[in-house]
Amino acid sequence: MHKKLSKQNDYRNYKGIMIEPQIRDFFIGRIWTRNNTPFPKEKIEKYINSNHLSIRSAITVIQSPNLFKQKFFKCNRCHNENQEEFIQFECARCNELCVYCRHCINMGRMSRCTDLIVWSGPVPNFKHHHELAWEGKFTKAQEQASNELIASINLKRNHLIHAVCGAGKTEILFPAVHFALNKGLRVCVATPRTDVVLELFPRFQKVFPNTILHAYYGGSPKQPGFAQLVIATTHQLFRFEKAFDVVIVDEADAFPYTSDQALQKAVYKVRKNEAPIAFVTATPSLKILSQVKQENWGHSFIPRRYHGYPLPVPRFVSLWSYDKKINKGKLPPKLISWMKTRLEQKAPFLIFFPTIQLMELATPLFQEIDPKIISVHAEDPNRKEKVVKLRNEEIPGLLTTTILERGITIKNVQVAVVGAESKIFTSSALIQISGRVGRNVQFPDGEIVFFHHGITMEMDVAREEILRLNKEGFEKVTV
Amino acid sequence: MKREVTNCLLCNAPLNEMITWKTLLTNAYPKMICQDCENKFELYPQTGDEEVIALYQYNEVMKDYLHLYKFMHDVVLAKVFRDHIHKSLTKKEAIIVPIPMHPVKLKERTFAHVDELLIAANINFEHFLDKITMETQGEKTREERITTPQIFKLKVSTDQVKDQDILLIDDIYTTGTTISHAKNLLLETGANSVTAFTLIRV
Repeated sequence: MHKKLSKQNDYRNYKGIMIEPQIRDFFIGRIWTRNNTPFPKEKIEKYINSNHLSIRSAITVIQSPNLFKQKFFKCNRCHNENQEEFIQFECARCNELCVYCRHCINMGRMSRCTDLIVWSGPVPNFKHHHELAWEGKFTKAQEQASNELIASINLKRNHLIHAVCGAGKTEILFPAVHFALNKGLRVCVATPRTDVVLELFPRFQKVFPNTILHAYYGGSPKQPGFAQLVIATTHQLFRFEKAFDVVIVDEADAFPYTSDQALQKAVYKVRKNEAPIAFVTATPSLKILSQVKQENWGHSFIPRRYHGYPLPVPRFVSLWSYDKKINKGKLPPKLISWMKTRLEQKAPFLIFFPTIQLMELATPLFQEIDPKIISVHAEDPNRKEKVVKLRNEEIPGLLTTTILERGITIKNVQVAVVGAESKIFTSSALIQISGRVGRNVQFPDGEIVFFHHGITMEMDVAREEILRLNKEGFEKVTV
Repeated sequence: MKREVTNCLLCNAPLNEMITWKTLLTNAYPKMICQDCENKFELYPQTGDEEVIALYQYNEVMKDYLHLYKFMHDVVLAKVFRDHIHKSLTKKEAIIVPIPMHPVKLKERTFAHVDELLIAANINFEHFLDKITMETQGEKTREERITTPQIFKLKVSTDQVKDQDILLIDDIYTTGTTISHAKNLLLETGANSVTAFTLIRV
């Protein structure tokens, strides 16, 4: 009798809302602005009142305990703590001295009087049955790496996959992701580059045909349902919190991830407590390598490409004062003859430039030789189409900035870097660029030339690393 | 000479401003944007006898700037043009009156963009006007703008306006509807003269 009464009381206290799956699915794992959701405002307020969504101020202010009472700010969306990026101002909404974060302002401004909401209601169990529709074959090294990754996920420890360009890194992830999904875990594959998200998404979609997966990048469309597998740029991770049981960071050495502290923190903040993170890269930073040792991560190393041929080694060719010549409206003869050889061989080519300005000056000069040559850069709206054109051999060659340094695969492509001594071409960028060449079994070799105005350390490091990887890859086989 | 920012507010390139005799001896404001970004803004040609003084032309870069400042609410960008605004307005004898925002809009934006430009440039100003409509001129066609009824009302007593020289300030001058509404109202109230100053002119 007593029991019955108390139960009735519970019903009386129950603030009564039916959870709409749409709203729940949207908010699970997300950290979102209160006033800017894709749902009607009254509904959101209802969920807040019934404690299904909890509120948090977007900026935390910490006052130092010392005499000076200095204020320190922290953005709760992007976890930025660089004080220079916080701006104080007289706010007309909260009528006092307010503060906002400039670091993530592109995603909508977060100020102290902005509220963030996170889901605090019940979370359903995730699906345990996922299909893996992949029939490719692994090399021995790939298989070993894949098994090692699964073991690390099982042990909940972080993992590094260090594999050369063209080793088949994405394929290695498939069995591991499948394993995690089947355990009912939520998985995120993050990468610093939108291009890589756009390339990975259809591949994963094909391989996991009955899994709901979403792709998030700047300007991505709305996608319905609850995604157990998320492919996102590292920037979009700002919008998640404690969301994933497994986080995989692909191309972990790409700009801007390596230079942006907040992006690196974002990877840690989106995982649930102590969930494992796997980093996949061809050029791991010293920091990651030392973390692997100190924190006892799992580590897989693949020094050989999937087709078993060595990496093409870059050739250094001097191209003195190339920028002056191009500024005067002339192409250096060495560059012309290199390109003419490619045209005769009918091999598609990529020429990398250090700056957009130099590339735009050079483009008409190249077009004098072959009018079909075009250029592409980060702000180009047609960049996807242009790469497809090169792949389909509609154009003989493409001039590009570093945006195409990774993630693209073109059969029999030949590569030149103009101005390889420029600061923007770091050793890891140069290794990535060299990695574009010879990825196809039919054309395992190809030209990679660094045209330079003086050899830099970075160029030497890149070349030595490639030679070292080749040596290791082939010693391993003979042993 | 206190350095306020270490990176360009627009392109984030590191600012390495040279310390020269000029920066030491004059009290010019420290730079907020790099030289490359600064060069992309085009000055508005000054003829001298126009009734509206404008500093810059409206171009792609200015469009991006206004978007970041007014719509992404990046208040600190008010400081980008402070040196130029300060130099243009500090010697003016007229009373400086910024074009106001509607209170509801102000709550939404959290700051009055025209006021902030003046505060950043250290220019004193007074509010004489209240905006009585929520419509923005930017969303209307030219026809609609010209036929709109008065969009302002007087905020202060008539005496304060009477026989005064007034300089109206706005961020952008497109067709001139906003400025002419304010101007007509102030002249009808008895102001001696009303001129206008805008950051940008289309």
